[in-house]
Order: sequence, then structure tokens, then C-alpha cells
Amino acid sequence: MLMPKRIKYRKQQRGKMRGNATRGNYVAFGEFGLQSLDTHWLSARQLEAGRIAAQHFLRRQGKVYIRVFPDKPISKKPLETRMGTGKADTDFWAARIKPGTMLFEIAGVPEDLARQALARIAHKMPVRCRFVGRRLAV
Amino acid sequence: MAHETPTVIARKRDRLGSRYAQRIRRDGRLPAVIYGHRTDPIHVSLDEKETLGHLRHGSHVLNVQIEGGTAETCLVKDLQFGYLGDNLIHLDLARVDLDEEVSVGVHLHFIGTPEAARKPGAIVHHAITELPVICRVRDIPEEIRVDLSKMGETLFAREIALPEGVRLDIEADDVITRIELVLDAAEGEAAAVEGSGTQPEVITERKVDEADGDKKEKKG
Repeated sequence: MLMPKRIKYRKQQRGKMRGNATRGNYVAFGEFGLQSLDTHWLSARQLEAGRIAAQHFLRRQGKVYIRVFPDKPISKKPLETRMGTGKADTDFWAARIKPGTMLFEIAGVPEDLARQALARIAHKMPVRCRFVGRRLAV
Repeated sequence: MAHETPTVIARKRDRLGSRYAQRIRRDGRLPAVIYGHRTDPIHVSLDEKETLGHLRHGSHVLNVQIEGGTAETCLVKDLQFGYLGDNLIHLDLARVDLDEEVSVGVHLHFIGTPEAARKPGAIVHHAITELPVICRVRDIPEEIRVDLSKMGETLFAREIALPEGVRLDIEADDVITRIELVLDAAEGEAAAVEGSGTQPEVITERKVDEADGDKKEKKG
């Protein structure tokens, strides 16, 4: 599963996720993309589930790009432990998702196939998603 | 120009600011600004449907006829997108002469299938779909057709047949299209499993020996 190779600090504060995505909100590498419409912490496990769903469906036909990276450590205290004694260990790694964030992109396949593959990914995602193509450019 | 310059009717905007721009958009119009050639900028609004239609057809130059004013030949300089990154909310138009040299991105239309892409697991990857070119405003092509049927593993920018009066605005050795071999789903999973389970290295974490050394120094 995806996670950083090197980090500066082992644990992070939770932070806030306000507003919409202003970066990484358009199709950049592929021809079609899956865009998030909600805010969420997307875990590395969920990303991996999406990637597997698309690759099993496409069977070496197209290329799947993962546009987000789970670089935020999320800690969780073990069950039935008393409060206190400091912050718990990292439970999973997550990517911060805002409305507009492009989650996955697909290249090298026709639109109908891309739609089906991205729909399969969307079923694995914890957020509402929509299918998008490349935007206007000058 | 390789094609007719479309004419759009523009209305001057007297009231500026996001609230008034929003009202204009609600009426089906697109806020825009015309600037350049050392004259004052003019804030206008264009018909959204008509302008989008021209842009989708690859028009880079518009003849803007301002109601009760002059006509300007303008190059579409920048597009501003709104919520979710795909709805056009504002247009930057730069005044140009038809004989002026400008740098624009021209859409590449790929035709044919390369021989190398017929192998199982091979896909055609387009690194560039909008080719930056330098040419006179009247020579801006609507699109550039690229025949992929004779390409090998990689197509470089220098191999693209450009129309007369058009030259590249990128390095000649830049890759436009290449054939990529896609990993099998099973191979990808194996690679993912190999990488899992390890914890990332913490670069600021002090080594045990170093920490002991510091304590000894302090005591000394």
C-alpha cells in the first residue's frame, strides 16, 4: 500500500479541511478522470482497492493514474485503553480529499470503457464522485 | 489564420466585482477583460454559449465587436475556471495584430495506431496534447494532425509536420507520444505487497548513540 518512504515527524495533528480543491482539480495525465465531490480522509487501503478494481476490469488495456498520495499519518488508540499517556501510534495513512480533487485518471482506453472502470473505482470510494474529461485549454 | 475569425458581440461592464460578475453569469453571459497594446483595459461580457462553442472548436482569436464601440481582434490569453475546476468563469483577451507573432497551444489531433501499440499490454501515452507553437496570429492552426501509424517507440516534437509559418515553442527533443507497457494487475499487486508492512524512515529522529553522546558531553 502507498505510504511515504521518509517523513520528518512520526505523528501529525488532525488539521481542518475547508473549502474546495484549488490544485489537482483537473485531468492532467490521462484522458478521463474521477473527481471527488466531498471532503474526506482517503486511506491507502481504499486507494489500493480502487486501483485493483480498475486494473482487474481493464486487464492491461489502459493506464491508471492515482492522483493523490496518502501522506498523512492517522493515529488510533488501541481498544479498551485508558485515556492519556500521549498520542497513539499510526493506524493508517490517508490522503486529504476536498471537493474537486482528482482521485484517479485513465489513459489509453475509449470513453465507454473508462466510464465503466471509473464507476468501479467510485464504488470503492468513501466519497461521492463524478466522471470528467479534459477541460478547455488555450 | 487557418480558418475564419469568429465574431462575438460584447457588452461593456460598468459595475465590476465578484457580485456583479456572478449576476452576469446568471444571465448566461461570461465576464471578460480586453487588454494590451498600451491602451486601457475594457471590461466586457460575452455570450457564454457562443464563446464556449468557438473555444471548443479550437479558436484562439476572436473578433470582439463592442456594442456601441469599436471592434477588436483579440487572442484568448487565459481562462479562469470556477468550482470543481471545469466551469469557465472568466476570459482574458489580449489585443493583437494579425501579423504579430504569438505563442499559443494548439490541440494535437492523433490519427492512426502505431505498430508497437498492437502488442499485448502496450498503450499509447500522449505526454503533450496541446503543442506550444510560435506563429503569426493569422497563421494559428485550429489543430495539428499527427499520424501515429509510422511512429516507432517514441514520437519527438521535431517529427511533427507543422504548417507553414508555424514553429515549435518547446525543445525539438521533447517527447510527444510514447508506447508504454502496462503492468499486469497481478504483477502490480505483487509489487504493492512487497512495499507494504514497512514503516517510513523518520529523518529527524535522533540515533540512540548520538543521544547518549550528548548526555555524556553535558555531564562532562
